[in-house]
Amino acid sequence: MELYGGVIYPAVLVACAILALAGVGTMVQVRAHRVLEKAVTGFWIVTAIQVLSVLIVLIRGNDAGLVLTLGYLLAAVLLLPLLGIGRLGEPDAAALDPDPNRPVLQPDQIARVDGGAAVIVAIAAAVLAWRVFVILGS
Amino acid sequence: MPPIGRLLLIVAYGVLGLAAAGRSVVQISTRLSEAPVPYLVSGASAALYVLIAVALWRGWRSVALWGTGVELVGVLTVGTLGYVRPSWWPDETVWTGYGSAYGWVPLALPIVALVVLLRATRPDAVAD
Repeated sequence: MELYGGVIYPAVLVACAILALAGVGTMVQVRAHRVLEKAVTGFWIVTAIQVLSVLIVLIRGNDAGLVLTLGYLLAAVLLLPLLGIGRLGEPDAAALDPDPNRPVLQPDQIARVDGGAAVIVAIAAAVLAWRVFVILGS
Repeated sequence: MPPIGRLLLIVAYGVLGLAAAGRSVVQISTRLSEAPVPYLVSGASAALYVLIAVALWRGWRSVALWGTGVELVGVLTVGTLGYVRPSWWPDETVWTGYGSAYGWVPLALPIVALVVLLRATRPDAVAD
């Protein structure tokens, strides 16, 4: 538990902050999209480490509610695919969909959508990490 | 509808739908008898968020418009009743305090969505 509270949880919050900053940067300056892509990759890794560490804490024995904790972990994982939602607007992806209402985005629009999504996901992930931290009883 | 705004609204409604669904599933499955009205309102709000996200993705503009309108009325009604008739609400819902537990996002989001949707339906709006 000390490892989670002292290392993993702060690392998740730092990763959320980096993701949010990279998202804002991308919305302001599209060239920052490359930085955001690296931040997203790092965020997937940090989230995986977070999930594993919380599972280890639960397996070792903790008074935290199992359903609630696993629910928050599941939510943290389910947020991740939203980080790549801009790709759904790529012309190649849209061409495969018969839906005429499917949005088709230019590269700069894809970058801005990814940036905005990163900010939203970063805030939500930080709240989830905080809730797990509270539930685990630190 | 502007594609960037549309996709970001889908993300926002997806995240809020996830949060509300998780909360209401736990509340309804474990403590429904303690506070049926608040927990069912939370469940209804979760279903509404998911419906709006799907409607925005599929391009069902009228469904999205009606959904966000209902959502805004719901937030304002539940938020106001929480102060006027607190005895009716033994526990909090997603919309209690105008969504204060969620950073007032439940109040701000339908307003933003309605602005985006209504601007897109104006005759002089630029097509997607």
